[in-house]
Amino acid sequence: MDRVIILRYSEIHLKGKNRAFFENILKRNIIEKLKGINCRTEFYYGRYIVSDYDAESEREIVSRLKTVFGLYSLSAGLRTGADTDGIAEAAASICKSKGSFRVTASRADKTLPYTSVQLATEIGGRMLELHPGLTVDLHTPDFTIFIDVRDHATAYVYGESVLCAGGMPVGSAGKGLSLLSGGIDSPVSTYMMAKRGLKLTELHFWSYPYTSLEAKEKVIELARILHKFTGDTQLVIIPFTKVQEAIHKYAEPNYMITLVRRAMMRIAERIAEKFGCGCIINGEDLGQVASQTLESITVTNSVIKRLPVFRPLIGFDKSEIVERSKAIGTYETSIKPYEDCCTVFLPESPATKPTLRRSELSESKISDYEELISEAVDNAEIIPVTE
Amino acid sequence: MSYIYLDNAATTRVSERAAQTMLRFAREEFYNPSAGYAPALSVRRAITNAAGTIAGLLGAEAEEIVFTSCATESNCHAFACGIKNKKGNIVVGSGEHASVYECAMRLKSKGVEVRFAATDADGHVTPENVAAVTDENTAFVSVMHCSNETGTVNDIAGIAAAVRAVSPRATVHSDGVQAFCKVDTDVKKLGVDLYSVSAHKVGGPKGTGALYIRKGFNMPPFIVGGGQQGNRRSGTENVCGIASFAEAAAEYKKAAGAFDARSVAKIFTDRFSGRSDVRINGGGHTSGYVLSLSFLGLRGEIIAHGMEDNGILIGLGSACSTHVRSNRVLGAMGVPKEFAEGSVRISFCPSTTREEAEYAAATLEKVTNDLRERMRR
Repeated sequence: MDRVIILRYSEIHLKGKNRAFFENILKRNIIEKLKGINCRTEFYYGRYIVSDYDAESEREIVSRLKTVFGLYSLSAGLRTGADTDGIAEAAASICKSKGSFRVTASRADKTLPYTSVQLATEIGGRMLELHPGLTVDLHTPDFTIFIDVRDHATAYVYGESVLCAGGMPVGSAGKGLSLLSGGIDSPVSTYMMAKRGLKLTELHFWSYPYTSLEAKEKVIELARILHKFTGDTQLVIIPFTKVQEAIHKYAEPNYMITLVRRAMMRIAERIAEKFGCGCIINGEDLGQVASQTLESITVTNSVIKRLPVFRPLIGFDKSEIVERSKAIGTYETSIKPYEDCCTVFLPESPATKPTLRRSELSESKISDYEELISEAVDNAEIIPVTE
Repeated sequence: MSYIYLDNAATTRVSERAAQTMLRFAREEFYNPSAGYAPALSVRRAITNAAGTIAGLLGAEAEEIVFTSCATESNCHAFACGIKNKKGNIVVGSGEHASVYECAMRLKSKGVEVRFAATDADGHVTPENVAAVTDENTAFVSVMHCSNETGTVNDIAGIAAAVRAVSPRATVHSDGVQAFCKVDTDVKKLGVDLYSVSAHKVGGPKGTGALYIRKGFNMPPFIVGGGQQGNRRSGTENVCGIASFAEAAAEYKKAAGAFDARSVAKIFTDRFSGRSDVRINGGGHTSGYVLSLSFLGLRGEIIAHGMEDNGILIGLGSACSTHVRSNRVLGAMGVPKEFAEGSVRISFCPSTTREEAEYAAATLEKVTNDLRERMRR
């Protein structure tokens, strides 16, 4: 009998002929995640096992695996032989002494000398003998003992299952470029697209001296927090000051934000292509602020010619975004009071219904616009995010 | 990169002698001062000597000094334990440091009546303004000696007299962090019961402060435990901090005697006076060590970034609260928001040279002019 952690994957089981592709990426991500912990990973059809680890490492293994996209749930339990005595011994070691319980058994190997119901009844009976304080409740038990018999030699016995992050393995859906402002929303949108299997590069626009070193440090910290979900990635920092100053100098004040966002999207598309990303992700949420109205999004989106832009938060309420941000652990950093964008240039009343014609007209007044954009792309700073 | 450091109101460089003293008490005379063996006795004496030095600089006696972990602790101690009449009101200046302001706010949340004595346009809390909100039920008054934002020096002796004329038994406390070793801080002349000072503003290390408690003023300890420092502040004494605090303060006081802070500050005020887009905050009686300037339409942090790029470090206001956008103290002085947002704090120490100040003032003018140009439409 040895301690094991049983892993179950999520949507991958819906895949057909290409299932191996997804499974291979998931296996690689699991191995990568457990690097540095002394343990063994075993991969069986439909079920992955972590074994041969020290008891004190179990909590750390569980904690790490809960952030691997593609896993649906996991259970820490025991592996034993398929004989009823061995199973009963394992069950006894996880069985509580009081309360109501049930035993749920399943068999993959139908040649075993008992049915699932017979096995559950037998083990349940032995638990009752062991602990007279127990009662059986098949419908709403206080706890359940699960028995999963795989073959003549192997049975898994475990209690509760812990939900994992779900989604698809990072890397299985290609590469994406996620805009990371330092606010509450963009870390959540980054998380959500990593969850759908994208391998991400992150992009931040920095306007020193109008924003501070601390603002940049904050974004680096957010990228580090997200690392447990995204895996190793790169944070690209764009020196954005000159572009912003030029827009401020020449644009109509109420078009300032519209033009800044158009410039950001232009730069994003070029960076995405440079880094081999097939899409751009941002944290826009319809109607949240002036730059996120339908008209504003239309005008900023129109500069992107070759790639799709994903906005996973588009239909979310702010409160829902905040809730997710707290759940993934980025909220406390996001609310640190360093400017995430150059608020010194914010107009009194930004246009909520900008038009493409006026935006293009304003941009045409900016001398060296194209050069400024290219210079920003060329001077990007790349920070590896490895932990 | 070596910087011209003009944020001495935030903290100062530890002096060479103070650093050596710290090292000595960390590596050689490291014994617990409460221990019974002979080597510990000399450590105990070092604390007594340090108390004597600090007391000497305050015109007090050694037994009137209690060492703390910082001036914030000293202020908290004063507020937590120095109020005799629990049903009385308390009076604080409008321009106080956060550690005093938050103590007052905490009392307010517990139902204590807190009154604010107004500052005038120069940043002074005058005896008249304190008297205006003091009555016979006033139990505690706390007004800072020298402003950490503007360097203005308040007439603490006048304030103490005004308070006692109305409420003889009220406790009078003053936060003397920015005044200590820079202006006359003779506590007997000031007439206070309690006075807070800090080591790291005068060339000592961070993590050490002191509270002067007037002899005869009985006050329970704020931190209890092993009964150190005559049971007035428990916890094994930070000997490295205490001994080097005394060393640094004596050294600083001597250097300050030969340093004309006001003439250094004047290098800046001369350059910016008469300009409608720059305000010099604070006036009248100032220490000269702290100067607050506000630039219309700019942001303090952007100016500070520009200065840093030119090798000069300046502050934005109280370093304990630079992340709070609005400046409570300048607001209380009536500085308009458009100016207050563009405020920077420049603060000196006796080793600041006129050349450094001249270069910094010229750079500040250039940086702010450049920023205006870059931000112009």
